[in-house]
Amino acid sequence: MSQPHITLAEALGMMADAFNEPLANVQPETARDSIPGWDSMGALMLIAELDERFGIELSAEASRQMRSVQHVLDFLAQHGVLSA
Amino acid sequence: MSFSRLDGFRIAGVSTVVPATQLDNLALGDRYGADDVRKVVSMAGVRHRHVVSDGQTSVDLCADAAQRLLKALDWDPESVTGLIMVTQSPDHFLPSSACVVHGRLGLSVGCAAFDVGLGCSGYPYGLYLAATMLKGGGHQRILMLNGDTPSRFTSPDDHATTLLFGDAGSATALEAVASGGFASHFGLFSDGTGAEALIMKGGGFRDRFPADPRDLFVRMDGAGVFNFTIKRVPPLIQDTLAAAALDVQDVDAYIFHQSNRFIMKHLIKKCGLPEDRVPFTLEDTGNCGGPSVPVTLTRALAERQRAQAQDLRVMLLGYGVGLSWASAVVQVDARTVLMHGLSAPVGPAAEPPHEIAP
Repeated sequence: MSQPHITLAEALGMMADAFNEPLANVQPETARDSIPGWDSMGALMLIAELDERFGIELSAEASRQMRSVQHVLDFLAQHGVLSA
Repeated sequence: MSFSRLDGFRIAGVSTVVPATQLDNLALGDRYGADDVRKVVSMAGVRHRHVVSDGQTSVDLCADAAQRLLKALDWDPESVTGLIMVTQSPDHFLPSSACVVHGRLGLSVGCAAFDVGLGCSGYPYGLYLAATMLKGGGHQRILMLNGDTPSRFTSPDDHATTLLFGDAGSATALEAVASGGFASHFGLFSDGTGAEALIMKGGGFRDRFPADPRDLFVRMDGAGVFNFTIKRVPPLIQDTLAAAALDVQDVDAYIFHQSNRFIMKHLIKKCGLPEDRVPFTLEDTGNCGGPSVPVTLTRALAERQRAQAQDLRVMLLGYGVGLSWASAVVQVDARTVLMHGLSAPVGPAAEPPHEIAP
């Protein structure tokens, strides 16, 4: 079975849902500090989404090091789930 | 070890208590911020928590639960030859809490009594140890106590843990029966490389008097614990079913350690479990560590067991600090006593304990 993929727009929408933030405020260049919902609970929501949708593990350390939406997109690309 | 099969014992009764003092998390908005509290309540699912009063400990809760159970079963304390206490909040480093309870219950000198230092995985572990003692011969009746007071080791400044944890004590009575009856299955696992994910660093002999007072309270790496849980619990359930040659539908109830509603719901979905077979109790009693498993057993199953008067096959699941995780498929038969109540504060002003609805 092939691994599911996600487009850039879908990835941003996934993060907006996880962080309970309007989509307009979740863009690749958006810093983590600018997203109030990207706190410890938002981080858990993102970990859960990645596990549920793709079966990939976002470690606690990797999660802590993410400083922007682009870092999440990079992570998705590294795991081969972000469509070009 | 992976999985083991044990027969020759039955669970005669399970008694659980929570402290009489109940806190409403939503009333703590002034201290922790109304939005933060609402978020924790909404996501973690803990609205109320029962917490011990000053001077009330796991030993008090477990001894109370045990006394009620001995009375309900009409067991002579002299007939109990094994007492296991699973706790991570003992009264003392020494002697063991089991020995303190042994004296409190008036058990005989012929009774083995010892502690097991496990947290959220402790209930299946304790059952396994009691069952192996009964299977090994020489014992007819054993009490397995599992109690913890996490409210005493969470920092009031750490709302991620303080708003989550409650306290509870339990006593489970097991007795030997002829071999060939219901066979239980147990799976016990550990990963000590994750020891730092949930840890109280100070106070033990590594750092008896820590310079940083925060080291006297538990620290939790929430994301790390969450990753551990979603990695380990789904295969634990699947492998336990396989070991017991059961399908998902063959189990009447999956009794999870009540870690956090968000985590539990994720696990239910990931494992494809029927939601109506996974009871939640943490809204009213919080995450009380290992005893959350027996608390859920008594609160969620007592009424059903009485109404249906039939044997129930349940899977018990504990996971957390250690890191440690464990499962047990056991039978709660139609005669098993299930009881739950409030435990009054200790001291001269204590009110007599009374039962509460499950």
